[in-house]
Amino acid sequence: MATETSLDIFFAPEGTTFSQFKMLPVAADGKTYQLRYPLVTPEELTALISQLQQAQAEVLAPLSVNDLVTKLGKAVAYWTDPNYPLRQLAERLLPAITGYNAETVRLELKRFVRVFRKKELQRFLETELDQPAILDDFHPQKSGQLTRAYGPETVFQVFSGNIPGLQIWSLVMTTLVKASTLGKTSLSEPLFPVLFIRSLVQVDPRLAACFVILPWKGGTKPLETVAARQTAATIVYGSDQAVTSIGKLVPLDHRFLHYGHKISFAMIGREALTPDHYLTTIKQVADDITIYDQQSCLSAQTILVEAGGAVTPLMVAQLLATELENAQLKRPRAQLTQAEAAALVRFRSENDLAALADSQIKVFASKQSTAWTVVYHGQPGFAGSPLNRTVHIFQIPHLEQAPTYLTVYRPYLQSCGLAVGPERLLRLAAQLGKVGVGRICALGEMTRAQAGWHHDGQFNLLDLLRFVDIEHQAELAAEPLDPDVE
Amino acid sequence: MLLKQKVALVTGSGRGIGAAIAAQFAQEGAIVVVNLLQYRERAEATVKRIREAGGTAIALQADVTRADEVNQLVKQIWAEFSGLDIVVNNALSHYRFDPKQLELLTTIPWQSYQTQLNGSLGGAYNVCHAALPVMMTQGSGRIINIASNLVQFPVIPYHDYITAKAALIGYTRSLASEAGAYGILANAIAPGLTYPTDSSRATPEDTREAIIKLTPTKRLTVPADVAGCATFLASDLCRNLTGQCLSVDGGLVMG
Repeated sequence: MATETSLDIFFAPEGTTFSQFKMLPVAADGKTYQLRYPLVTPEELTALISQLQQAQAEVLAPLSVNDLVTKLGKAVAYWTDPNYPLRQLAERLLPAITGYNAETVRLELKRFVRVFRKKELQRFLETELDQPAILDDFHPQKSGQLTRAYGPETVFQVFSGNIPGLQIWSLVMTTLVKASTLGKTSLSEPLFPVLFIRSLVQVDPRLAACFVILPWKGGTKPLETVAARQTAATIVYGSDQAVTSIGKLVPLDHRFLHYGHKISFAMIGREALTPDHYLTTIKQVADDITIYDQQSCLSAQTILVEAGGAVTPLMVAQLLATELENAQLKRPRAQLTQAEAAALVRFRSENDLAALADSQIKVFASKQSTAWTVVYHGQPGFAGSPLNRTVHIFQIPHLEQAPTYLTVYRPYLQSCGLAVGPERLLRLAAQLGKVGVGRICALGEMTRAQAGWHHDGQFNLLDLLRFVDIEHQAELAAEPLDPDVE
Repeated sequence: MLLKQKVALVTGSGRGIGAAIAAQFAQEGAIVVVNLLQYRERAEATVKRIREAGGTAIALQADVTRADEVNQLVKQIWAEFSGLDIVVNNALSHYRFDPKQLELLTTIPWQSYQTQLNGSLGGAYNVCHAALPVMMTQGSGRIINIASNLVQFPVIPYHDYITAKAALIGYTRSLASEAGAYGILANAIAPGLTYPTDSSRATPEDTREAIIKLTPTKRLTVPADVAGCATFLASDLCRNLTGQCLSVDGGLVMG
């Protein structure tokens, strides 16, 4: 009989008691892991938030930002070691919990944590703050005043469960601004933030008091009302529906940051389709689609391919189809829920019908499975996809015409994987920026945002901060009041 | 059945190796296009045999050295069967393996090379050029080029024939190299002296015996041996194998 191991997928300061727990069995490595989490009540949550406030004042506030960078950097360094037990646990359990291919999880997790090495944390800080030390003290500014920055004391963070590990992005940012965290995880990926906090506690046990991570069903009003009202700021990652529903609960005078539904795409110029480059280009596009099955909002859903290269846009579709078929052998796509599979089947039949009526549309699809689908359009355009390795390819005579087709998607546009020569890079980037794109990246790197990027066009740290200025006049006025003044 | 519902074009399949390949493909469930140049009756006979055995085949005339005729042929196949999964380039300019008529290096004219190149290489080029867009759209396809083991072991130096078959092997490899990214596999088969065929009928007894003596299996190749190898290369048993040249010659050539 398989052995059973119990594992807590929540984090709460030592001594916390919960009235009721639930178990979620997950099979991995011939073992059954009973993932345990509490069914928290609004009263318990209220008490936890008040403890977080106290811990912030006692533990986080007195620490310098440099101390925090060092501690976070140490925790991240643990995760860069392949023998680190928690990393090994994550590598075993995350594929079973999420359904993602184990090799993808192993590779992407280690690539992801590198974004938070100590030097990268400094990059995050210094990209947004000329003087990170203003998080500790008042410092003179060029304009004459003294300025200090304060983060919120407590932040309610709603994590999405689409990508393993992604949650630590905002966890790290809030910790850098000395905020305690109440994190709500999704049961589709509740593990990584808990393990990361355990690493942080390993570095400094006092930090345990500053984090509460709990899974509950999204939309549980009594809990979310308490969480949004009693913390100083709320950050939501998730669907537009999640953002709207929680947004309504956040008091007007609290910070509310949200990262809702976004669409990313790629644009391939004819210069990336020369005989010596086209195969690399195709491989990169396939990687962007394969990694985490496009569940990250950073993955391309549409690819605009410029005509006039050595291979035609139609050939790009054909080559991509073969590459996705190969990817299925190497890194199979996750098993789908019934609803997801039905969406794919519906998408395919709609496009098959469209292809019958219009010879400019061609559907390339995996046989006897929904593993991948490429829909080729002989005319320029733009469209979202049902994800899970499903992509549109639109032929476009000149990439410079792309904005025409993007404008209606403006509120949703996020990353563009752009493969063009240096001459066009800045010109096209300027056009894309104008229609709402927030990130231009290399093909093959679409799913890996770099340290210091402006997430959805916003700041990572600055938006959490509140600044306090001591005007120069106040300083001057204070001088004569020194009893020792002449 | 290994080739159920696959559409296969076998060039020069009215007789010899081509006819054997066509018959075996049909036996494995393929819809076979028997291509012929001049011997319509023999092609019709191949088709008749296939049909009598319960298979599906049609005979279509086209000169593979003429791009326009080949394009028309592939168009016709597409119109009839909406696909083209397997191409066997078997046609060549007529050749007789007759050591007595062998042209020596000092006397063989360039035209002899050109004729063989036009048949083996030119024919394969025209057929592939027309078939590749279809296979690319399908995201799969098999190309099988019939070469010769004489390229590796010129027991008798048929200069023009060997040169053209060597070119065909080179073409197979470079084709495989680019077409692999579209899910298309291209391989060659290098039969040994295959007997009986029209080309080998002139090979005298003592030459045949000399070859048999050197051959580990102690026999010549028969058309069905080559057909078996082609069926494997055309089928889903053969996966991720491309740019190869398989010798079907009883081990005369190894490696």
